[in-house]
Amino acid sequence: MTDLPRIASLEATGPAVARARGWRGRVRPRAAGRVWLVVWVVALAWSLSSFLGEDHRVLNTAGWGAFTEFWAAAARPDLSADLLRATVEAAATTLAFGVLGTLLSVLVGIVVAPFMSQTWWAPATASGPSRLLRAGGLLLSRAAVALPRGVHEAVWGLLLVSVLGRDPLVGVLAIAIPFGAITAKVYSELLDEADRAPYELLREAGAGRVTALAYGLLPSLLPGATSYAFYRFECSIRSAVILGMIGAGGLGLQLTLAFQGLQYAQVWTAIYALLVLGALIDRWGAHLRRGRARGRWAVSGVLLAVLVAGSVWHLAPDLERWFSGRTLELLSRLLDDLVPPSLPAGGWSELVAASVETLQMSVVAISLAAVAGLLVATVAARGGTSPPRRVLGWAARQLLLLTRAVPPPVWALLVLFVVFPGPLPGAIALGVYTFGILGRLFAEVVEDLDQGPREVLAELGAPPLASFAYAVVPAAVGRLLAYSLYRWEVTARETVIVGVVGAGGLGRLLEQQRAGFDYPAMTTTVLALVAVCLLVDLLSLAVRATTR
Amino acid sequence: MSHLPARAVIALVPVLALLAGCGADDSSAGGDNATLRISAIPDQDPAELTAREEALAEYLSSALDVEVEYVPVTDYAASVSLFRAGDLDTVFYGGLTGVQARLQTPGATLLAQRDIDAEFRSVFIANADTGIEPFDDVAGLTAFEDTRFTFGSESSTSGRLMPEYFLREAGVDSGSELSGRPGYSGSHDATIDLVEAGSYEGGALNVQVWEARTAAGTVDTDKVVEVFTTPPYSDYHWLGGPDLEDRFGAGFTEELRTALLELDGSTPEEQAVLERYGAGKLIPTDADSYERIEEIGRTLGLVS
Repeated sequence: MTDLPRIASLEATGPAVARARGWRGRVRPRAAGRVWLVVWVVALAWSLSSFLGEDHRVLNTAGWGAFTEFWAAAARPDLSADLLRATVEAAATTLAFGVLGTLLSVLVGIVVAPFMSQTWWAPATASGPSRLLRAGGLLLSRAAVALPRGVHEAVWGLLLVSVLGRDPLVGVLAIAIPFGAITAKVYSELLDEADRAPYELLREAGAGRVTALAYGLLPSLLPGATSYAFYRFECSIRSAVILGMIGAGGLGLQLTLAFQGLQYAQVWTAIYALLVLGALIDRWGAHLRRGRARGRWAVSGVLLAVLVAGSVWHLAPDLERWFSGRTLELLSRLLDDLVPPSLPAGGWSELVAASVETLQMSVVAISLAAVAGLLVATVAARGGTSPPRRVLGWAARQLLLLTRAVPPPVWALLVLFVVFPGPLPGAIALGVYTFGILGRLFAEVVEDLDQGPREVLAELGAPPLASFAYAVVPAAVGRLLAYSLYRWEVTARETVIVGVVGAGGLGRLLEQQRAGFDYPAMTTTVLALVAVCLLVDLLSLAVRATTR
Repeated sequence: MSHLPARAVIALVPVLALLAGCGADDSSAGGDNATLRISAIPDQDPAELTAREEALAEYLSSALDVEVEYVPVTDYAASVSLFRAGDLDTVFYGGLTGVQARLQTPGATLLAQRDIDAEFRSVFIANADTGIEPFDDVAGLTAFEDTRFTFGSESSTSGRLMPEYFLREAGVDSGSELSGRPGYSGSHDATIDLVEAGSYEGGALNVQVWEARTAAGTVDTDKVVEVFTTPPYSDYHWLGGPDLEDRFGAGFTEELRTALLELDGSTPEEQAVLERYGAGKLIPTDADSYERIEEIGRTLGLVS
């Protein structure tokens, strides 16, 4: 279902064919792997050393009290009737944003994907100009999704608020714009990877392009497309929480308000609600993943339809507002404000410095997430035989669930109590959150592995760590690497949301520009962030192409 | 395994129930119903803010005979954007956000301010471990050179704009002469907590929040000390949106202004509202009072 390495490759920059050619064959994979490893270690050391500052102090022991106070409240969440009612309502709002955001993304994906596929742009004749025109069209369609996709949901949300105001559609659209773009990209890749013989046959028989797509390609695409839609749903819920934090409402808002008031007992009520929501969706996904029986999909389909209807009713978006003159006026004002872009107050040097810092934050965050994720995943993987192993496994899975249920900005504020300010607490916050996501994915990889080699080593008396290192890691390294690289790109984009603690990088710059309503400079900062994500994406491609 | 679909259905029942159970909150939808939407910048504990704004909402509702709803926002800049988009009718802004909102929203009017706002102040606080001693002159702010320092929200007048201005007056450039870059804690309360925890060595905030917190005993004054109170400046005020007359009839802006100015504590209810605002009464205000804020905002790149 959530076959992320595949998703990662489908989401990555550039058409599939270009990727397949890639760098492959020029370098021996093992040697290339070693080179990349060295590059990574150097990059990590460089990033960390630039975060440490002059006095090399990292931990603020004096803040430990405030930090533990937060965790102590976990044992006594506020369960008063009023708050519980508000929490249920907030959970419904978050869920509704996620459901409608996903629905819209998938619709956009279905409509736009054909026009982005190589199948669509494949030359009908071999004539030169036509070939060139079509190649140009393909490239253009790919470039068109890079921008909506490269801008973080939170940034979309903040921009949309100034046009649509308090309308719940802000939350839905903020999810649907970037996710719609990436869904269209992935669906077009699925189209291109599908068996095209039936399509060609229909075309030869005189069927139009649309008819041929519908009858010749669509049936074989459904499973993959549905799987991806569900993966997007999981992502949408996480985004809905973040959007709530910046004002869209729901659990994110409730959590932020409680946190700002230092009402930790109430914060934990919201966190537990997020845990329940996350666990339900995990269960649903795992259930779908385990089988392809028609019945399962039918039940899920019905549930989804009910959820969609319930979401529309719950959010009650004001469609009238879309067509009002005021909205149009506000939109044109925003566009007027945003273009032409201008450099930040500090000029190019500030922009470049902030971009480099963003890159460094992403390197530190993903390194932390991957190393910690790998260690915990082996414990968290299901299939433990002894009772203590099972208890430990359960505990590890709850830890992973918790770390990904708490949104990064909250992690950032917590880390700030015990780590001295700067980009480091922001990077750690993102790392902890990503650890929750990667750890779970890693655990799935470990669960899927053939346990034979490991058991043999263990029987021969190898200690657990050794049997893990020699039996599990080599077999899984490809997928682990693919997961990590995929999340690296996501993490780079998410550096923008830990700007709340002035963590650093482009997120911090964007926060400053937003406070001064410097829209032209905001455009530049957002473009820089898109460029950093693109760079990370290309680096990931290079790593994967040369180590395959 | 065949029982799994049933389990999935059961698992999702509560989710569906909650979706269906909580009807949409449509009191805010659309602009046709005449509900006055009041708001305030999120500069302190949201629970107290809500209690304060709901008390005002109740007062205005009975004084003006209209429905009044308090709309909470989580972010200073978003509050300005929502005002500009016409989603908030009356907002209690800080000095800077008020200027930003007024410049961005043609037709917005100044309504009133609290008696304490005409001469508002910020306090500079320091973690006790720094050993910074209290001082009386702006020039003393050089004590914060090379310290880890935090402001409140980026858009806060008393937590950022004026403190940064006074630091500059003392010759301390917050961009280059602190240890690392300045932090932006997000709110006055957070500034106290982070300086108390030692995450930052110094910070600046709204004098009113500082006094309220020390009076309530929620500050450990062994760990964090007040070292300087700034000279006065004009701060918080109420703005009315340009659509008020369209939505509530001609002359409504004036009625609203009068209702605010008549909030003088003549009844116990009014007394309670004023107490929550930390004010004795509300007084008239004009654009001239905020010219200095606008000017400083321009120097700091916060007003364009």
